Amino acid sequence: MSRATAESALVRDETTGFESAAAGLVGLSGLLFALGLAALINVIAVTDPVAGVNVATVLGGLLCLGGLVVIGFGVGSRLGYLETAPQESAGIVAASTFTLVWSAIGGLVASQTIGLGPLWVVGALVCGAGAFALTALPREDVGSTVPAGAVAVLGGGAILTGVVGPNWEWMLDGYNATLFADIVIPSMVMFASLLTGWAAAKTYGGYGARGRHIGAYTLIYLVVLGILAVLLALIAFVVFKGVGPLLRGFSVGGQSLISWPFLTNGAGLLEDPKGIFPAIVGTVWLVVGAVAFAIPTGVGAAVFLSEYAEQGPFTRVVEIATNGLWSTPSIVFGLFGAAFLIPRFGNSKSIIAGQLTLGFMLLPLVLITSREAILAVPDEYRDASAALGVSKWQTIRSVVVPAAIPGITTGVILGVGRIAGETAPILLTTGGGVLPAKGSAPAVLSSFEVTPLSPPFVSNPALMEASSALPYQLYALITAGLGGDLPEGVEWGVALTLLLVVLSFYAIGIGTRYYFRRKLHQ
Amino acid sequence: MSQTDTTDTAGTDTDATDSTATGGDQPLTTTAGESEEEIREEWTDYRFEGEPKLAVEDLNVWYGDDYALQSVSMDIPEKSVTALIGPSGCGKSTFLRCLNRMNDRIRAARIEGSVELDGREIYQDSADLVELRKRVGMVFQAPNPFPKSIRENVSYGPRKHGDIRTGLLARLTGRSDREQENELVERSLRQAALWSEVEDRLGDNALGLSGGQQQRLCIARCLAVDPEVILMDEPASALDPIATSKIEDLIEDLAEDYTVVVVTHNMQQAARISDQTAVFLTGGYLVEYDETDKIFENPESQRVEDYITGKFG
Repeated sequence: MSRATAESALVRDETTGFESAAAGLVGLSGLLFALGLAALINVIAVTDPVAGVNVATVLGGLLCLGGLVVIGFGVGSRLGYLETAPQESAGIVAASTFTLVWSAIGGLVASQTIGLGPLWVVGALVCGAGAFALTALPREDVGSTVPAGAVAVLGGGAILTGVVGPNWEWMLDGYNATLFADIVIPSMVMFASLLTGWAAAKTYGGYGARGRHIGAYTLIYLVVLGILAVLLALIAFVVFKGVGPLLRGFSVGGQSLISWPFLTNGAGLLEDPKGIFPAIVGTVWLVVGAVAFAIPTGVGAAVFLSEYAEQGPFTRVVEIATNGLWSTPSIVFGLFGAAFLIPRFGNSKSIIAGQLTLGFMLLPLVLITSREAILAVPDEYRDASAALGVSKWQTIRSVVVPAAIPGITTGVILGVGRIAGETAPILLTTGGGVLPAKGSAPAVLSSFEVTPLSPPFVSNPALMEASSALPYQLYALITAGLGGDLPEGVEWGVALTLLLVVLSFYAIGIGTRYYFRRKLHQ
Repeated sequence: MSQTDTTDTAGTDTDATDSTATGGDQPLTTTAGESEEEIREEWTDYRFEGEPKLAVEDLNVWYGDDYALQSVSMDIPEKSVTALIGPSGCGKSTFLRCLNRMNDRIRAARIEGSVELDGREIYQDSADLVELRKRVGMVFQAPNPFPKSIRENVSYGPRKHGDIRTGLLARLTGRSDREQENELVERSLRQAALWSEVEDRLGDNALGLSGGQQQRLCIARCLAVDPEVILMDEPASALDPIATSKIEDLIEDLAEDYTVVVVTHNMQQAARISDQTAVFLTGGYLVEYDETDKIFENPESQRVEDYITGKFG
C-alpha cells in the first residue's frame, strides 16, 4: 500500500478529499491559535457571549473537534483508508516532546483534578511513558497524530465540561500568584492548536519526508505569526492608549494653520491644554548632540583600526573592549557622566553632559558597525585606486568610506533607537523639571552667543542648562503619579510621542541609507 | 627539432612519476608531464634596438617561505606589446605586479633585485610610489570599477592628483576644470573604444555596465592618468569572446603610444597581439624570452615547446 502510494505521489495532479480536509484542519488550528492569541492580549474575553454560549465554550468545542479529527486521520491512515507514505516511526524528537507534554499533563491532572497529593509523580511518569510509547513505537501516522490529538481533546474537554471554566482560578502554592481562566484558557488553546496544526499539516503532506517538511513549516509559520502579533499588539496598545492624550485640543484651521497643543505647549500654570514641548526639544537635542559626537569619532577610529593599524593583538583587544562597552549597562555610563562630566561643565546637570554621555554610549556601536562596513569594502577598490597612483588617505576618503556609508548608517540607526529611549543616563546628567513650562524648553539654536573678548569666542547658555527629555518625563510621570491638573493618560501620550520621535529618527536614517545605496549601485 | 640539452626523459613526458627533479635537494620545479632541462641564459637574452623602457635585473620574490620568482632578468622595449605566458602559479602575475611595486601591498611579499624605468631604479627608498604608479598604470584580471558614475571613474586619477579641479572650492572661485574633465573623459573613453556605448549616460553608475564594458572602462581610467607603461593582468580572462576581441584590438592600438605588458593564459591571444613573448614555467623561472614569432614557431627550450603545443600546463 505505502509503496504504491510513494510511486503515485511523484506527481500530485488533483487534491484528494482527505487532503482538503487536512488543509481545512490546518486552517482551523490557525484560527484557534489566532483566537487564543486575541483572548490572551484581551482583544476578546473568554466570557464574551457568542451565539448563546461564551467564547471559552466555543474554543473548547473547536479544540475537541480538531483533536478528534486529527486522531481520525492518523487511525484512518493506519488502517489504509488514506493514501499516505508514513515512515516507521514519528522519531525521537517528537517522542521526547510528547513525553514532556504528557508528563506535565499527567502530573497536573493527578495532583489538581484527581487530588492524589504527592502521588502526582506516578501520574506524570505513567502519562509520560505512555506518550513515549504511543509516539515512538507505532507507525508515523499514528505516532504523530494520536498524542497530539489527545492533548487537544483533553484540553477542549476540560474547557467544555467546566473543569477549567471561565471563572476558574488556581492559587499557586508557595507563590503569591493566582492563575485565572482568561490567561490559562487562551494559553491551552494556543498550545493545543499548535499541536493539531502540526499533526494536520503532516497529514496533508502524507507524512514521510514531505509531511515532516510541511509540518515543520506550519509550526514555524504559526509561531512567527504569534511573535509578530505580540509585537504589533505592543505597538497598537501604546497607540490606542496614547492617541487620545496626543490629539487633545488638536485642530486644523483657525488662527494658526495646525494647532497641536500636546506637542507645542509646555505644562506651565497658564498653559491649557498642557503639553510636553520642552521634553521633545530636549530629546531631539540630546540625540543630535550624541550623534554629532559619535559619528566622527566612531568612524575615525574604525578607519584607523581597519586601514592603518596592523591586525593583531592590539586590534583584537580594542574589538573586545568595544563589544564590552556596547553591552555596558546604561546606568554605568550615567554614573560616569554624573561623576566626570558634570563637574567639568558648570557643576550642574546640563544638556551637553547628557549629549556627551549618550555619545559615549553610541560610540561603540558606531565603531563596531563602521569597522565591519569598512572591512566589507572589496580590496579591489583599494588596489585599483593604488594602481592609479592615488595615496592611501585619498583612497580611504573617496572610495572606501563612501562605499561603507550604508553600513555605517545602519549602525547609527540601531544606536539612535537605543539612546533616544535611555532614561538612566539622562536622569543623572540632564534631568530638568518634571512638568516644565514651555518657556523652559532649551533654545539651543537661538542662544549661541559671540563672546569676542576671550576664547572660545562662542558660548551657548542653553546647552549648559538642565532640560527635560521624553524618557525622563515618562519616568517622572509614572513614579511620581500624575502631577497637578494634568489630564489622565498623559503618560501614554508621552510614550507614543517618544515612539514617534524615535521612528522619525529611523526614517531619517533609512532615507539616508537608501540615498547612498542608490548612489553606489545605480 | 632536437635539443641537445634535454635529458633522456624528454619526449616520454606523459609519465607523472618522472616529474620530480633529479637533484635530491632541488625543489620541485616541474609539473606533471613536464620534462627536465637546464635553463640557459641565452634563451632569455633578447636583443632589440633602442633603450629598454623597463630593465629588470636579477629579480627575486618570496611570499613568506614560497620562492615565487627566481632571479628573473629581462628588458622590455618601448611602445610594444610584451606578453607573459606560462602555466598557473609560474610567477608571471607576480612579475607583472613588481613592475609598479603593487607587491609592496602584500605584507608577506619580499622582493630583491632591480627594476629600472627609463634608467631610474624604482626599488629604492626614495622612489615615489605615487609618481611611479602614475607612469606605470595597471589593469586587473577582474574588472574593478569604483561604485561611482562612469565620468567619475575616468576622471578619478587626475582629480585625486590635483590635475583637474571640480571641487566645491574650485567651482566657487570660478576655476572649475569642468571643460578639461569632459575632454579628458571623452578622449580616454574613445581610446578605450567605449565612448560610443556610454556617451549618453556618463552619469550612470559604472557597476551597471557589462563585464566587457567595465574592463574597457578600467582601461580608460588607467589611460586618463596618462601613463607611459600599461600593465595588464589577464585583462580578458573574465570576458566573452566578443568582448575579448575588442580588448585585444585595443591593446594593439595602445602599443602605438604606450608600452604594454600583458599577462595571459591564452597562447593564441599572446601570439595574436604581442611583439615579444616571455615564457615563465613552474617554480618562478623565466625560461625563454624572444620575439613572439620565434617563441611560437621555433622555441629553443624543449619545455617551452611542450607547453606551447599543449603537452602540459
